[in-house]
Amino acid sequence: MAFIEVCGIYKSFGRIEALREVGFTVEKGEILGLLGPNGAGKTTALSIMTGLLRPDRGDISIEGCSVRRNPRAVKGSLGLVPQEAALYGRLSARENLNFWGMMYGLAGRPLRARVDEVLELVGLASRAHEPVARYSGGMKRRLNIAAGILHHPAILILDEPTVGVDPQSRSHIFTTIQDLNRAGTTVIYTSHYMEEVELLCERVVILDRGRVVAFGRIADLVGLAGEAQELEITAAGIPPDLPAKLCGLPGVERVLPREGGLSILTGAAEETLAAAFALFTGAGAAVSRIEIRRPNLETLFMKITGRSLRD
Amino acid sequence: MTRKAWMITRIGMKQLFKDPLYMMFFLAMPVMMSWLMGFLPREAAGLATSGVMVMFVGLTLITSAGTILEERQQGTWTRLLAAPVAPWEVFSGFFAKSFLMGWIQAGLLILAGRYLFALPWRVQSAALFLVLAAYILAMSSLGLFLAGFLKTLPQVQMVSTGIVMIGTMLGGVFFPANTKSPVMAAIAKISPQGWAARALSDLLAGRAAAVNPAPLLWLFGLGLVFLTLGICRMGRERG
Repeated sequence: MAFIEVCGIYKSFGRIEALREVGFTVEKGEILGLLGPNGAGKTTALSIMTGLLRPDRGDISIEGCSVRRNPRAVKGSLGLVPQEAALYGRLSARENLNFWGMMYGLAGRPLRARVDEVLELVGLASRAHEPVARYSGGMKRRLNIAAGILHHPAILILDEPTVGVDPQSRSHIFTTIQDLNRAGTTVIYTSHYMEEVELLCERVVILDRGRVVAFGRIADLVGLAGEAQELEITAAGIPPDLPAKLCGLPGVERVLPREGGLSILTGAAEETLAAAFALFTGAGAAVSRIEIRRPNLETLFMKITGRSLRD
Repeated sequence: MTRKAWMITRIGMKQLFKDPLYMMFFLAMPVMMSWLMGFLPREAAGLATSGVMVMFVGLTLITSAGTILEERQQGTWTRLLAAPVAPWEVFSGFFAKSFLMGWIQAGLLILAGRYLFALPWRVQSAALFLVLAAYILAMSSLGLFLAGFLKTLPQVQMVSTGIVMIGTMLGGVFFPANTKSPVMAAIAKISPQGWAARALSDLLAGRAAAVNPAPLLWLFGLGLVFLTLGICRMGRERG
């Protein structure tokens, strides 16, 4: 039996089907990526896992304990890092952590010691007494993580923890997550940034419009993309009929609009490039940048869904 | 009340006390209004001073719905519900915060009125305690009940201002309700502010009106109804 089993979760909000028979497993001690574009159902899946929402059908079990039947029993073993920095802005970092620690049953000297420890871990010990409202976005995100790990959770759930974060804080967050994982914490990491998931995780669940479209080891999934490479061409003045013409080129599997250009999924990048460039210039489009990407999760997602992860 | 519920109460109060604008509205403005009312002729001053207390305490308690919305907006509500805390602990924590803030404000207005502006409050009066307890219970419960339905802070502002203004102005808080108008008579009859203000001004005038159980029963009844509805509403949130 897997550490966490997500079995046939279905959840709708009125007519909107947020999750449709979603199922996957999480092994103890791994970092599992939950990847998908905005609106794919990642946050809904996490909300069900943490007992905040009740699924219409299906169940999640954590170490054999059903979240649906007994949400309170599993809450103590979960650490949630919500998408927004869920903190009290008028209070200091230390006051925030003291409060959240108490909500998870910590008190007295162990709480104080643990607060000191996590403040060191996220690099905020020197500013622990400042009101959180004065913190930068990156510092708030780090404190948000600190609040989620105070009680030594067996499972840490991070919902897009790096949105709007500066590179330095992002790197600090990654190091913290990797350190926690090395110490034995199982991590579920959601993102719509493929690069983050590829960097942190060994296995990934890719969600799209409430369905699991791919699940497995990243290396295996990238293999499924085959030889397809992504050719990203940035250009001005692209005529509306150009994508259709590009689709007719040998080796081209899909053509998708991108901000300021087009993405071409092709099995023969070099041949396509020459022909595509000729079509762009022939149509009067001014090409400013060309990038060829090796097969990756983005390529796989495009191949399966015909859309981009960044949509 | 559990330790976790008490911590929710404490953190909520701490945040309010760290907000200078809130403190100005919560303490300075009602005290100043009470002081100004003290310049009125004695009979009118009694009605006006109790009216100031009823209006400001009512506004403070009903707008406490906004603090729950603020928690929802900043994500702390989600984090709270994801923690191993029962929904009733969350509710009681917020209720206790609101209830205590009501007492702090009312207590300060009574003390300021009596010792700074020489208003005839009988601080030790059990009747005064009972009327305030009933009124604070009713308005705190109404505030938390509204928090379950209102979705945005502008909605809270509109609804709470509407309830407080209509209940205060038409409920006979600052001047006797016009009993010739059936609408105003009905508002005066159901308005918790009207009941509380009448009982308080009677106490100020030396008439022990609170011995009459009707205002107390009405206020306690309202409080219990809204409290029950609020608990039911919150129970529907996942815990």
